[in-house]
Amino acid sequence: MRARPSGWLLAARIAAFGVLAFLILPAFIVVPVSFTDTDYLSLPQDHLSLSHWQTLFQTPMWRNSLVQSFAVAVASTLLSALFGSLAAVGFMRMKPSMAAKLRLVLLLPLIVPTIVAGLAWYWVYIPLRLLDTYFGVILAHTVAGIPLVFVTASSALAAFDPRLEQAARSMGAGQVRVLRQVILPFAMPGILSGAVFAFIASWDEVVVLLFITSRNVYLLPRAIWDGINDNVDPAVAAAATLMISVTVGILLLQQLLSRRENGKAS
Amino acid sequence: MTSVGHLTVTNLRKRYGHAVALDNVNFSLAPGEFLTLLGPSGSGKTTTLMAVAGFVQVDAGSISLDGRDLTRLPPERREFGIVFQGYALFPHMTVAENVAFPLQVRGVSSAERQSRVRAALDRVKLSSFADRKPRQLSGGQQQRVALARALVYEPRLLLLDEPLSALDRKLRAELQWELRTLHRDLGVSFLYVTHDQEEALTMSDRVAVFDKGSIVQCGTPDSLFERPATRFVADFFGKSNFFPARMSSTSQSVEWEGGKLDYGTGASLPSGDQLTVSVRPHRLTLVKADAAPLNGVVTQRSYAGTVVHCLVRTHGGTDVLVESPALRGYSGIPDMGETVGIHVDRDAVIFLPQ
Repeated sequence: MRARPSGWLLAARIAAFGVLAFLILPAFIVVPVSFTDTDYLSLPQDHLSLSHWQTLFQTPMWRNSLVQSFAVAVASTLLSALFGSLAAVGFMRMKPSMAAKLRLVLLLPLIVPTIVAGLAWYWVYIPLRLLDTYFGVILAHTVAGIPLVFVTASSALAAFDPRLEQAARSMGAGQVRVLRQVILPFAMPGILSGAVFAFIASWDEVVVLLFITSRNVYLLPRAIWDGINDNVDPAVAAAATLMISVTVGILLLQQLLSRRENGKAS
Repeated sequence: MTSVGHLTVTNLRKRYGHAVALDNVNFSLAPGEFLTLLGPSGSGKTTTLMAVAGFVQVDAGSISLDGRDLTRLPPERREFGIVFQGYALFPHMTVAENVAFPLQVRGVSSAERQSRVRAALDRVKLSSFADRKPRQLSGGQQQRVALARALVYEPRLLLLDEPLSALDRKLRAELQWELRTLHRDLGVSFLYVTHDQEEALTMSDRVAVFDKGSIVQCGTPDSLFERPATRFVADFFGKSNFFPARMSSTSQSVEWEGGKLDYGTGASLPSGDQLTVSVRPHRLTLVKADAAPLNGVVTQRSYAGTVVHCLVRTHGGTDVLVESPALRGYSGIPDMGETVGIHVDRDAVIFLPQ
C-alpha cells in the first residue's frame, strides 16, 4: 500500500514543479507570441494569425539563415562525432596517467567561457582569413562539439571489455576492422547522445557567431539577435519557436532511441 | 586428420617491472594433443597463453608452430582460435553474426559463410538460437557460441583461457565432456588454461604445472598424480600428507615418524639429507591403536557421501588426513578423540625433496 504523502512532501513537490515551470515557461512564451495578429511582439489580441510564420518561410533572409544554420549544425555534428569518438578510443588505449592529463586539454572548450572563446576565434581567424566563412564557423562549432561527444563516447567505452578486441584480433581482424566493427558499434549509443548535444550546441550558438560572422554567413540565432535589435518583427518569435521545436524534437528522438536500446538490453 | 599444429615454446621470459611473470617456460604441444597449463593465480599460466596468442610480448624466448617462428607476429596473423574467460562475444551482433565474423574477415563468400555458420552452430547444438543476441543466452550457451566462433575457421590450435570458470559445477562437468568430445572429433590441438586441478586431471592428455612463473612439472595426469616431483605439485594436484624425514646414515633406509622405510634399490631419491615423505589420504588405512607404527588421536571427522575424512593428530604432532570409503555413514569409522593406528601402504609412499 502506498503511504499518503505527508504535508512536507506535498509542499516539496509543489515547489519542485514551481521551479520546473520557472525554468521552462519563459522559453515557451515565444510560442503564442509567434501566432500574434499584431505587428509587434505581443500575445495574440483578437485572433491567432499565421502571417509571421509566412514571413519566416517566405522572406529569403529568414529562409536562407534557417537552411544555413541547419547545414552548419549537421556538418559540425558529423565532424564532432567523428573526432570525439576517435579521441575516446585513443584515450582508452592510452596510459591512464597520460590520459588524465590530456583529458583536461580536450575538455577545455567546455570550460572556457563562450565569450572568451568567441574573442579567441576572432583573433585567430583574422590572420587566417577565416572570418565570416562557413569553414570557420563549422570549425569553431566542431571544436565546441568534440568534448560533448568525447565525454559520452568515453563513458560508453568505460564498459568495453578489452577481451572483445582481443577476440576480434585473434580471429584475424586488423586494427581498422576492429575499430569499425567492434569498438565503434559498442560505443554507438554514447556517440549518438553526444552528437545530439553537439547538434543542439551548434544549432543555438550565438556568442561565437557574433564575433566571427557578419554578412556572408548569416545563421538563424544571429538573425534572431539582429531581429530583436533592429526591429520588433514577431517573425523573430516564429524563428525562436522553430528553434525550440527542433531542439525538443531532437531530444525526444534521442530519448526514444535510448529507450529502444535499453529495451533490447533487458 | 591433418598432422599440423605442432607448437613449440622455448625459454619464454617476461618481466613486469621487477616482478618476474615468466621464468624460462618450455613446452611443446603435439598435433591433436590436449595440453593443460595448470597453476594458482599469478603463476604465469595465463601470461603464457597470452604470449602464445600474441597479446603479451615476451622479453626473450620463442614460440613456433610447425617450425615457423611466430614470436614477433601480431595476434591477427597467428591463425589460432581463442576461447576467452567470460566468452568475449560481440554484444551488438547476433549469435550467427558472431560466428560469421572470422569468416567475413577471411573474405569467405556469403553463401559459404551461411552454410559454415549453420554447421558450426549445429555442432554445438545451438542452430535454433542463431538470431538471438548473446545476452539472451545462458552462460553455458554463450560458452558454446564462443567455441563455435573459435572453431568455424578451422584453426590449427585452439587456446582456451579458463573457459568454464564462470559456470556452476554441474554445467561445468557437462561442458567438460562436450569439450573432450569436440577435441576428439576435430583433432585440433588444445592448449587449455585452468586453476582447477580436477578439470586438468579429467580432460588433458598432459598437464604442465606452473608455480612462480615456471613449469615445475609436465606429464600425463596419472604420472603427475602418482609421481609428483615436488611438494608443490603433490599438494596442488590432489591432497597429500607430508612428514619430515631424513636419510639414515647406516642403512639404505629413510627414517620418519612412522619408523624406517627401506627404499630398496633403483628407487630415485631426492638428493640431500633431509627429505619429505608424502602419502595421499586415500592410501592410508585406519587400524586399531598400536597395530601400526604410526598412532594418533582423531580430532575431526567429516562425511562426504562416498568417503569419510578423518583428521588424526599423531603423537609426533603432525595432522594427518585419512580418507576412508564410507559404506554406511560413520559406521566403522573411529569416534572423535579415539586413539587409532594409521597403516601406511609402502607402495603409496612418495619421497620428495624437503
